[in-house]
Amino acid sequence: MIATTTARTPLRILAGLAVTGILGPWQVIAADEPCVTDDADREVCLDAPAERIVSLSPGATELLFAAGAGDAVVGAVSYSDYPPEAEEVPRVGSYKRLDMETLLAREPDLIVGWITGNPSEQLERLQELGVPLYLSEPRELDDIASTLERLGVLTGTAGHAADEATAFRDAIDGIRDEYADAEPVRVFYQVWDDPLMTVNDAHLISQAAALCGGDNVFGELGSLTPRIDTESVLDRDPEAIVAGGMGEADETWLEPWRGYDSLTATRRDNLFFVPPSSIQRPTPRVAEGSRILCEQLERARERR
Amino acid sequence: MSAADGGVSPTAAPSAGIGVGRLIPPLLVLLVIALASVLIAVAIGSVHIPPAELWAVFTGDGSPLHRTLVLELRAPRALAAFAVGGLLAVAGALMQVLLRNPLADPYVLGLSGGAAVGALASMLLGMGAAVVSGSAFIGALLSTVLVFGLAHGTGSWTPTRLLLTGVVVAAGWGAVITFMLAVGPTEQLPGMLYWLMGDLTYARTPWVAFAVLLGTCLLVLPLGRSLNVLARGPLQAAALGVPVRALEWSIYIGASLITAVAVTTAGSIGFVGLVVPHMLRLVLGNDQRLILPAAALAGGALLALADTLARTMIAPEQLPVGVITALLGVPTFLYLLYRSR
Repeated sequence: MIATTTARTPLRILAGLAVTGILGPWQVIAADEPCVTDDADREVCLDAPAERIVSLSPGATELLFAAGAGDAVVGAVSYSDYPPEAEEVPRVGSYKRLDMETLLAREPDLIVGWITGNPSEQLERLQELGVPLYLSEPRELDDIASTLERLGVLTGTAGHAADEATAFRDAIDGIRDEYADAEPVRVFYQVWDDPLMTVNDAHLISQAAALCGGDNVFGELGSLTPRIDTESVLDRDPEAIVAGGMGEADETWLEPWRGYDSLTATRRDNLFFVPPSSIQRPTPRVAEGSRILCEQLERARERR
Repeated sequence: MSAADGGVSPTAAPSAGIGVGRLIPPLLVLLVIALASVLIAVAIGSVHIPPAELWAVFTGDGSPLHRTLVLELRAPRALAAFAVGGLLAVAGALMQVLLRNPLADPYVLGLSGGAAVGALASMLLGMGAAVVSGSAFIGALLSTVLVFGLAHGTGSWTPTRLLLTGVVVAAGWGAVITFMLAVGPTEQLPGMLYWLMGDLTYARTPWVAFAVLLGTCLLVLPLGRSLNVLARGPLQAAALGVPVRALEWSIYIGASLITAVAVTTAGSIGFVGLVVPHMLRLVLGNDQRLILPAAALAGGALLALADTLARTMIAPEQLPVGVITALLGVPTFLYLLYRSR
């Protein structure tokens, strides 16, 4: 899809090791000319820690702030709304269509792109123009932690970012341990209502549910966010239905399900709401979203 | 807009009997408008560059940022927009003569559908921009050959038959496109929709489209007289010694090829190919010797200006250029049509 390997400078093994967190004293050397491997398996090397960063997805903005590089973010795409400071960052278009002029006028020394969200032709153009580009696509829970670490290396905040990554991993491990013996709960996660959409097992949401025995009834479908019909939900008869919504407290998507008494989830009142931005964006807030989700699945178990 | 500045009588002039000398002044006016439009497209963007700085860039000076903005971003895009607009307008004018149907546009025979299926399929496979362009071109050619073969068939050939074949093939492509949009992964939908709406972001380099536009103008200019005769009907044309069948197929293939280049460069931008030739006919009369080069200039100018607006109107958000071509073109066209009665 996007150019796979562009080694900007010769491989720096020391820096590579620093990323994996093995090295102690040499990390200082690495921080001067930071190098990491991004999610497209490209080597991204900077001459110095980035001081002017443009983020091309709301999730990446959040990750940069979490990694301690919030002050260095000089441009972001629309909907970059968390943390609240991110709303003050100048906009450079929407993730679907970037305003290349405004973006370049921010004179970035690092751009954090989004592989499946940004138009590939615009990402290619940015590469041609020679601005260092880190391509991000967190697909697994641990990718969130490793993205924090890698962004920390690139922005000279490796220490803070490593702490945040550790905190995230600990939170996830804590949930996993807590629910290690939990009985499986058949769950349907509704990501959109019209058209009706869910997620498959490759999606972060499904992985979060799996931490605590959540068994995604549509997990085996081929597409990451499959469009489905009401019938197939009735057919698979989930024990719990979890929905996001248009806002952070908008539970209207659950209403239609109350009319289907044949659904186990409806009969047991296992219709749950999770604030969408806490679980649909690949950011450290997923730890909090996972905890909410797991508590709800636990309630579903109690109602058996 | 551009046409109104021509200041020529709006009544449709008879196509024969006008000397070549009469063709020059309107073309000169359009040429000035075209150059101005490209200049405006290069001067205006979402980042404000003062005129002095702009001049510095043109004279090989200026800050590195301004050089990048003007030379790397704006200029290639402005030229691509101009070339694509010109190609679509010329292709539209040719199709309208070929099919003797005022509703004909470059896409009426299903070419953009074929191109869209090619482009969207390669997007679904996760290909890069170059492959998407290549697939669009192949799709456009495939559709052209398909319609050509089916319309040829075994029976007699008429523009009506060609039109019907093309429209039905277009409907078929439409179904395939809808299917791909329905099953495509959500994260790819924005890119696919922008391609369908037409967007100069896809223009990687303007030179191919520009060279094709120049070549097209040189090729069709000598055909102007024959096209004038053909526009009056195939029987008169045949009686006057015009090789009707050969001419019609050349128009079809030529218009298809240049549309394919336009669509490959910037997706299926609508409206320009339909309305620019009509606007020009309302103002300049229906002389193909004049309309074809005028369409190249006016179509180019319209798209260059429309793309400038698309980039800047609600910046930093970006609009697809098709929105603007229609917003600019519809009132202009309706005004000209109203005034012409």
